[in-house]
Formats: sequence, C-alpha cells, structure tokens
Amino acid sequence: MTRVPRLAVVLNRLQLASPILVASGTFGYAREMADFTDFSSLGAVIPKTVTARPRIGNPPPRTVETASGLLNAIGLDNDGLAVFITEHLPYLVELPTAIIANIAGHSLEEFQQMAETLDATQGLSGLELNISCPNVSGGIDFGTNPTMAGQVVERVRQATSLPVIAKLTPNVTDIVAVAQAVADAGADAVSLVNTFHGMVIDWRRRRPVLGNTTGGLSGPAIKPLALCATWKVANAVEIPVIGIGGIATIDDVMEFLVAGATAVQIGTASFYDPGLASRLVSDLQTCLRDLGLDSVGDVIGTLELPESSAAARS
Amino acid sequence: MDEASPTPAGLVPTAVQRTARVIEQVEMARDTFRLRLECPELAKRILPGQFFMVREPGLTDPLLGRPFALFDVACDSQGEPVGIDFGYVVVGKLTRRMVRWKPGDPVSVCGPLGNGFPEPCDGHLVMVAGGIGQTPFLAVTREALGQRRYGDPPRTAAARPELTLCYGARSANQLAGIDSFPAEGLDLRVATDDGSHGHHGFVTDLLQDLITNESAPTMIYTCGPEPMMEAVAMLAAEHDIACRVSLETPMACGFGACFSCVTRIRLDNGQWDYRRTCVEGPVFPAEKLHWSDR
Repeated sequence: MTRVPRLAVVLNRLQLASPILVASGTFGYAREMADFTDFSSLGAVIPKTVTARPRIGNPPPRTVETASGLLNAIGLDNDGLAVFITEHLPYLVELPTAIIANIAGHSLEEFQQMAETLDATQGLSGLELNISCPNVSGGIDFGTNPTMAGQVVERVRQATSLPVIAKLTPNVTDIVAVAQAVADAGADAVSLVNTFHGMVIDWRRRRPVLGNTTGGLSGPAIKPLALCATWKVANAVEIPVIGIGGIATIDDVMEFLVAGATAVQIGTASFYDPGLASRLVSDLQTCLRDLGLDSVGDVIGTLELPESSAAARS
Repeated sequence: MDEASPTPAGLVPTAVQRTARVIEQVEMARDTFRLRLECPELAKRILPGQFFMVREPGLTDPLLGRPFALFDVACDSQGEPVGIDFGYVVVGKLTRRMVRWKPGDPVSVCGPLGNGFPEPCDGHLVMVAGGIGQTPFLAVTREALGQRRYGDPPRTAAARPELTLCYGARSANQLAGIDSFPAEGLDLRVATDDGSHGHHGFVTDLLQDLITNESAPTMIYTCGPEPMMEAVAMLAAEHDIACRVSLETPMACGFGACFSCVTRIRLDNGQWDYRRTCVEGPVFPAEKLHWSDR
C-alpha cells in the first residue's frame, strides 16, 4: 500500500502544511512570484521585511554575484508598515498558504508597536522578527546580543498572540547563546541563518562593488555554514529550528531536516529558479515515499554520529 | 511614498519558466553572437523591448540568470512563433560559457519580463542604439513596418511611422546584426568611434544632425551605454521630443523579487524614489529618470 507521506509540521503554536517555506527578501510580496509558484504547496510565505516607516534602501549596486553565492545590500527598501497593511496584506492573506510577516524595528518599542499593529489585522499566521539584517545602520543590533534578542521576543510576545519566530544572524561568536535567549523569552521557533557579512572589491578602481560597501552573503556558498549552525542550535535548544542558507535541491532539504531542522526556507535559489520551492515540496513527498516513511517527522533530527566523533564531542 | 501601486506597470502575469533548447548560434560581430532558443510559449507572448532571464541549468557558478533583450521572434513554416533570438557580447562568466552552447543544449529561461516599448506611434520614430543596445530595435522595426506582430493576443500596430535607426559602435567589426535589419523602410545611419564605418564620431552626432537639418522626430527610443542614453535624453528634452529609454541595470532575479535593479525615478512632488527596473521598466519615459548622481 502506498501512502502519501505527511508533510505537516508543528512549530509550537505554529502549524504548517509543509516544511518548505520561502525566505523573507527573496520572494517579494508573493505577487512577483505568482507566475512561477504553486502557493498552496508551500508551508508559508514570508514577505519582504517591513519596517515601521518607509525606507528608501541602499544606493545601487545592491547585489553582486560571487562564487556560488550572492552578496546583497538592499537595505530593507520598503514602503513601511501602513502601506504593507493596505497594499500587500490583502493580497497575501488571500493566498492558499500561511503568511508570516517579517518585521524589523529600530527599538524595543518599535518592535512592540509593529507587533500590536499587525496583531489587529486579519489572516496572518505568525511573525518573524528580523533581528539580523546586516545592511542597516542606525538601529540597535539586537541579534548579536543574547539579552537584547531575548528582550525583543519578550516585548513582541506581550504585544501579540501570534506565533513568533526569531530570525538569527550567523555573524556572532555563539549563535547557540542567542537561540537559547530567544527560546527562554518565549519564541515559538528560531530561523537561521540570515546572511554572512561579506565584501567584493573592484581592485582596479580601488572601490567596493556594492553601494553599501559591505553586504550579506547567501546562496549555495554558505550552505555548509548554515547547516552547521542549524545542527548546533537544534541540538541545544528546545524550540524548533527553521533552517535557512543556500538550500537549492532536495538533498539540501534532507540534510537540514536530518541535522534537526523542523522546516526550511528557500531563499536565494528563488531568484534563479522561481518555481523551485513548490517543486521541492513534491520532491520531498517522493523522497519520503521512496524511503518508506509516513511523515517528514521521521527524518527530522535523525543524524547519527559515529561512536568516535560522539565520544570526542562529549 | 506617493503613487504606491500594488501592480506596477510591467508586472503582468504572463511570464513562464521553462527549460528551452538551443536551436542555433550565429556570430554577429567580433565577440558578439546571436542565440536562438526554442521556447514557443515565450515566443508567442513577448513584445519588443521585453527581456528574459537566461541561465545554464545545474550550475552554481555562475549562479544567477542574466537578462537579455528580445532581438526577434523566430517563426516556423506556418508562421507560428517558436523561438526567441537574443544577442550577447562575450564579457563575463556566463557569456564565456554561452559561446560553447550547441544546438540541443538545455537552457533555463524565464520571461517575458518587463514592460517593453509602447506600440509604434505616428510620425517619425528615431531609434538610437549603442553597441549591443541595438538588439531591441529589430523587433521594434519589424512591428512598426507591419512585417510582424508580437504579443498574445498579437497587438496590431495601427501606426506606420517613418523609421530611422542611428547605430553606434566602437568599430566596424563590432557592428552587430546590421544585415538583419530590413533594407526597405528603415533609414539606417551608422557611426563608429574609429571612423571605420559611417560617421566618424558619436552616434549622438547623427541624432543632433538629424534634428538640426531635417524635421524633428516625433519619438526617440534609445538603448545602449548610459552616458549615450543620457546625451540622447538631453537632446530630446532640449528639442521637446518624446523619448523612451531602455535601461540595462544589473539584476539578480528579473521579476521584482529582489529589489536590486533599482533606478532613481522622479516623483510628481519633485522628489525621487528607487524603483525596480525589471518590473517598472526597463523602458522608461526619459523625463522620469533622475540622471544625475546615478
């Protein structure tokens, strides 16, 4: 008997139909992807980060390709929360998938106010807190300080009953400490990683290529780094982990799930293969069926360490 | 932010993502080639001035697709659109690989993207091209001459403008695709930087000369290096001639998701804002562009 494997995953209060999500900043406001994507197959769509007030973004060039990677410094170009609610949210919440708004605040108060405002809207399934954008100056760098990161989550939890995901930066000495802090503060899940600080120089002109001088690196180039961070955090904290970083194939998805991720986000790959995320959902079905498994849960966190390396780590 | 629009012009739900096959590759000029890809759905829908993203499947380096403007649509013996032609110059990681692509090779394409040029106007349409910037103008010419219809449903060009193409290149051996342009119905004028073909000097000299010594054009289209396009736009503004500029901005996705291909657009309130070239352009009215400090 062939059963269709179950893809539904539970991330504390957040229940998703599939573990394949699309990452904020790589999927526009979903409208842009409508020609290429079957939204109903996705676990959730996370639209581009919204800030309290409009942001013009960084001067171009905003992206430059690197070896198997993409360096970006968009600078959270967006029209602000009010326009997000009037122009984008009505379209988003009608889509046949969960919508998780991604917000970035300049202060604890701003995070709290944005969460309150969005709590009053209809149709959202959760909030993802961008405490990790590397391309924005002026705000407090919440994501690099465990105490501050925990405070953001605490304030947002007070402001809304929506499930809360904290999106973490890898640009820290100890990502586990930040993950632990947001878990203690009541985050339903952590998503990681955001981009790695990077730089490209046009040495002949003695100038940085990006208008913002530095940017964040994403794409297949960072996958092993992201996978390692996912594995470390999944082993250390109680709340579910959403793996992000260079995922572009079903093997990548399976690696993250085996490492302990309960779900994954497809990011940069949507830029060069906009139909990828929905295809990965059916690839995952096929893969689980071929393995004879009933549910995606049977794969999550199944990494086995050889005796010797397990001993070496203890 | 004013005139915030959830569906900016150009964001029309018609694009497809397909694996196409190479039909043929032809050398057009030095380091300049024309590729023909088999992709009937895209060929049927695309308009002059629209573009598509091209990438070699399975590679992570180069990673992203690259935007290419439609050169022309290729039709089968029944007149049905089956292929898309585009020109490219060998300059980077992907184009150095592209020269080795052979008939039958698979290619990822995504399109049609962007807004394209408007329907042909009455009067005198002058196209000003620099280098590989000539590629959108073959389809513009054929549509304006009534030789071919583009789009789905095919749009009918009601107007039959007088047509001039001012085409500039560095040297005669870099003039790509001159033979492709119709000999009848198009006044083709050439300038080269080294004087090896046509006028010795800038292509904008040809435009200046035309404006000064002949009747002023009704409309100018331009595509090519940005300093050239800015000079064209200045001439158009000076003589009060409508002008459309096709920008070539680096893009990561081509369909509006990444917000990297932004350009400064003048707003009605005198301010400017960054707008995505891929979905609001690549063709803009010249007066909307904020040229300084780009």
